[in-house]
Amino acid sequence: MRATLVLFLTLYLLRALVAEVNNALSGVHVWLFAGGLFVSYAALAMPFRSGFAASILGGLLCDCVSPVGFGAHAILFGIAHTVVFNLRERIQREETPVRVVVALLVNLGLFLAITILRMRIVHLGAGVWPRLFWDLAWSEVALLLAAPWFFALQLHSLELARAKPSRLA
Amino acid sequence: MVLGLAVLVWLVAPVALKTLARASFFEMTAPVVAASSYVNDLQKFWALRLHSKDELIEAGRDMARINAKYSLSVQQTGELQAEVERLQELLKMPAIEGYRFEHARVAQRDFSAWWQRMVIRKGADYAIPVGAPVVYSGGVVGRISEVHAYTSVVQLTTDPGLRIAAVVDGDTRPISYQGGDNQVFGSPKGLIEFVSLDVYASASVPKRLATSGLGGVYPPGLTIGRIVHVESSADGLFKAGEVELDPRLTELTEVTVLVREGAL
Repeated sequence: MRATLVLFLTLYLLRALVAEVNNALSGVHVWLFAGGLFVSYAALAMPFRSGFAASILGGLLCDCVSPVGFGAHAILFGIAHTVVFNLRERIQREETPVRVVVALLVNLGLFLAITILRMRIVHLGAGVWPRLFWDLAWSEVALLLAAPWFFALQLHSLELARAKPSRLA
Repeated sequence: MVLGLAVLVWLVAPVALKTLARASFFEMTAPVVAASSYVNDLQKFWALRLHSKDELIEAGRDMARINAKYSLSVQQTGELQAEVERLQELLKMPAIEGYRFEHARVAQRDFSAWWQRMVIRKGADYAIPVGAPVVYSGGVVGRISEVHAYTSVVQLTTDPGLRIAAVVDGDTRPISYQGGDNQVFGSPKGLIEFVSLDVYASASVPKRLATSGLGGVYPPGLTIGRIVHVESSADGLFKAGEVELDPRLTELTEVTVLVREGAL
C-alpha cells in the first residue's frame, strides 16, 4: 500500500511536469507523451499488485485531463503493465539502459493504441499523420533523456518511504 | 486475473461512478495547474517591474489614446443599442439574447495531434456553463467542454473534434468548419466543407470565415479564420478548403467566456 502511494506521488509529479512542458511547447505545436514512464518502473521492479495499482492510478491521472472515455488510459496502462511484468524475467531488468528501452517500447505501443482509440471517436484527417509522427519522435527523445532521472527518483522515493521491496520481486 | 478483474470493473461501473471518479482526479490535479499559472503571472509581474519609467510613460500615453478611441466606440454602441431596441419594439420582434462577459486567465494549454484544449482559471465558482462560447480579440477561441470547481476546459477551434456552422464573409449560406491540421512549427489550420461552387479564395485573396449563428452556441459574425484555399470536392457538388487560423490562438493568456443571459 505504501509503495503504491509513493509511486503514485511520483507519477503525479511526472504528470504535472509533462503538462508544464507541453504548455511551454504549445506555441510551436510540439506535444510530448510519457505514458511509458507511468508503467515501466512499476512493471519491472515492483511486486505485481502494488505496481499494477500504481500503473492504474497513473492511468486515471492521465484520463481525467484527456477527452477520452474515463478509464481508457488506465486499462491501456494495466495491459502494458501486465505484458511487461510477464516478460521481465527474460530481460536484464536491473540495468537502467534496459529499463529505458522498455519504457521507449511501452511508450510507442501506448501512443499507437491511444491514436487508434482517438480515431474511433474523432475523424482525424490525413494531415494529422506527420504531426503524430513528430509528436512520437519528440516524445521518445524526451523520454530517453528523462527516464534515468525518473527511475532514480522512483527508487529513492521508495527508499525514503522505506517501501522498496527487499529484493527485486 | 487481476487485469481481467480491472477491465470487468471498468466495464460494469456505472457512468455516475466514472464521472465522480473523473471529477475527483481532475480536482486532484487542478491545484498544481492553478498554482503554476499564478507563479507564471507573478514571474511576468516581476519581469514587467524591470521596465524603465520612460517605457511606462510611453505605454501610458498609448493606452490613453486607445481608451479615448474605445470611449467613442462605447458611445456609438449605446446609440446603436437604443436604435435596435426601438426597432424591435416597433416591429414586435423577439428580443436579442444577451451575454455576460467572463474574462479568464489561461492556466494551461494541451495541444496534441489528438486534441487541442486549454484550462482556464474560472469554473463553477463563476457559473460558467458547459458549451459556452469562448472568444478573444481575434475571434473565436472555442467552447467550454468541461466545468470544474474553479477551472474549466476549453475545446479550441483547432481541435479535430470541434465543428462549427460558419459563413463566408458577405454570404449567408452555411458551411461546415472543422479544426485539425496543426503541424509542428506551423501555424494552426482548419478545414471547411460544403462550400458553394461560386465561392473563390486563395492565399493571395483570402476570405474571412465567420460564425453563422446556427446551432445556437456561437453568436453570428465572430471571426474563425481566413479561407486561403478552396477546391472542388470529390463529388463535384461542393467545394472543400483550408482555413488559416490566427497564430495568437496558441499563445493566448486571457480569454472571454460568453455566458448566455436572458434577453437584452
